[in-house]
Amino acid sequence: MGILTKKDARLILDPLADDNPITIQVLGICSALAITAELMASIVMAISVLFVLGIGNVVISLMRNIIPSKIRIIVQLIVVATLVIIVDQVLKAFAYELSKTLSVFVGLIITNCIIMGRFEAFALANGPWRSFLDGIGNSLGYGVILIIVGFFRELLGSGTLFGHPVLGDAIEKTGLYATGYENNGFMILPPAALIVVGIIIWVQRSKNPALIEEN
Amino acid sequence: MLEHIELFFKSIFIDNMVFAVFLGMCSYLAVSKKVATAVGLGAAVIFVLAVTVPLNWLLDKYLLQDGALAWLGPEYADYNLSFLSFILFIATIATMVQLVEIVVEKFSPSLYNSLGIFLPLIAVNCAILGGSLFMQAREIASFGLALNYGISSGIGWFLAILAIAAIREKIRYSNVPPPLRGLGITFIITGLMGIGFQSFGGMLTGGDEEPEEVGKTTVEKIPAKTKTIEEDQSTGREDKKTEEIDEKSVSYINVIKE
Amino acid sequence: MAVNRDSNAYTVLFAAGLVIVVGSILAYLAFSLAPAIAENMRLEKQQNILYAMGVNENVDEGSVNFVPTDKVADDFKKYIVDQLVIEGDKITSNKEAYLIDLKKEMTAAKNGAVQKLPLFIGEKKGKKFYIIPMYGVGLWDAIWGFVSLDDTLTVQGVFFDHKAETPGLGSNINQRYFMDDFTGETILKDGNFVGINVAKVNNDPKNNIKDDNEVDALAGATITGDGISAMIKKSLKLYRPYLESVKAKN
Repeated sequence: MGILTKKDARLILDPLADDNPITIQVLGICSALAITAELMASIVMAISVLFVLGIGNVVISLMRNIIPSKIRIIVQLIVVATLVIIVDQVLKAFAYELSKTLSVFVGLIITNCIIMGRFEAFALANGPWRSFLDGIGNSLGYGVILIIVGFFRELLGSGTLFGHPVLGDAIEKTGLYATGYENNGFMILPPAALIVVGIIIWVQRSKNPALIEEN
Repeated sequence: MLEHIELFFKSIFIDNMVFAVFLGMCSYLAVSKKVATAVGLGAAVIFVLAVTVPLNWLLDKYLLQDGALAWLGPEYADYNLSFLSFILFIATIATMVQLVEIVVEKFSPSLYNSLGIFLPLIAVNCAILGGSLFMQAREIASFGLALNYGISSGIGWFLAILAIAAIREKIRYSNVPPPLRGLGITFIITGLMGIGFQSFGGMLTGGDEEPEEVGKTTVEKIPAKTKTIEEDQSTGREDKKTEEIDEKSVSYINVIKE
Repeated sequence: MAVNRDSNAYTVLFAAGLVIVVGSILAYLAFSLAPAIAENMRLEKQQNILYAMGVNENVDEGSVNFVPTDKVADDFKKYIVDQLVIEGDKITSNKEAYLIDLKKEMTAAKNGAVQKLPLFIGEKKGKKFYIIPMYGVGLWDAIWGFVSLDDTLTVQGVFFDHKAETPGLGSNINQRYFMDDFTGETILKDGNFVGINVAKVNNDPKNNIKDDNEVDALAGATITGDGISAMIKKSLKLYRPYLESVKAKN
């Protein structure tokens, strides 16, 4: 299965732009707001979701023929929660440092509606390989938005990237700050993420008018 | 009673699920095009929160907390099942949602038709799980307060979705740039509303109350205590309480000297 | 699949099977990993306590570097000269005091029991440190930490950590630029206990003034910061009788 067919490639490429989980499907917004104050946290979250969604989609897809329809929501939630808890506990036992970094994200991943959304919309109706690709594609599309938002919020809000000052020292007034520039403290508050995502949507839909909504 | 009132308003305004902690955003953004549907979903969220938060409170208290199993007998007191919180809370919520769906369908088909499609959506609404996890993390003290917290945070979410739905209905008459129409402008409006709601942060919790109290007690107690330490511990005290403190300071000093 | 997936019998059977499978996986995992996890947490606690009294491997300004886990047990024995448990007016020495679960003790105290208060006495280069553990609530979940005081009740170092504060905002309480600000602050004001306030409105962002009982707050993390202030106040209050006797002695 080394070569992707055209149809398979679309599963990965579509969510990156025209079918983006955040800006078009409106999935996974909460985490996009909560963790994008710093670029590093955005990247960690994007990678975590990549793992969970990729594996979770395959598991659900394998189980799709035996899940009773009446309790499918419970089953889906339990599968993803179990996966996350297993990973969390194993990391705590064998890679404690790493688990400390990731523990903050555990709750955010389980409650992330992008995961339930893709289970429900795709994995329940498709085979494991295609579900896997769908999972990867959607988490990449999710990650791209997270990283863009994280980049602007950290740069404009704290004047740093990955924690390193890039605009000079805000307290000593060097670099850009010598000209009177100030950090915009508003950017690190969660409402700013909403506005940045709003602007991303604006840019995206200006480039592709087919996406414009009526109202 | 006062703590109930305080929790009630705090959960609605200061800790508003949507504007303060940004939970339950997905359904908030997706299902807020019309006021009527927003009201339906909001009511369903209030109901599910009001049921699941107290239910999970009981689970937490008698099953999950460190040492919660003590009621089974002293030999169970050492078990800590808190790593199961996520999975049990989720199971409760999903079960409740599905149960509500079945009951409503059976007994009130008309209500089911107006709510029906929104009910399954609630299971994935992170405001619901968030409510239960906040309840656990903030160690809400009693069953009554948990019920209160469930209802009031539900009302907070209800108000938020009602407000945005009303704004979205009106904004149809405004000349929004086409690429921003729909989702884009909703994001930005929500951001602005979030900034507005931040000002509620100054309510109730408003700053100086607690330190003042601490300061008062220190002023009252410290002179008496330091005096006893500096002078003689055996000086007569009319108050039993200070006598106890005297004993304390004696033993502390001994330990430190060692 | 020939089975009717909508039948009640199948649904119940499936649910039962799922519960058994998931339950046994999680139970097995918890059971088999518990010792390793407990050991990791034990070492981490020792690292944190040592960090608060300034025993760490910090090289530059940037990052938090603990004593490595293979050395921490020895260092802990070397630097922590005594571990006390304060229980009402009784003080006992206890080698396992650092394992006391603060949260459990606080719940017990609420139910009327006498709270066991652990306190660690460290010694480095002839100087004494009194290290106090703290426990509180931030925005999302628990926060905790250690503060080390000297004889004059001046802060010699702190360590904070959290369970699930917002990444990039409240989660930065365990970063150097926040924790280092506490060093040198006093918890007294005019001889009274006031603790240390994490202040939003602060005319002293570089934290040059050390006797104002204030450190600069983290932007965007108001509730976590308030949680820290409250935690310091609440915890130090419990230890006040002991700390007063420390101060009185000097």
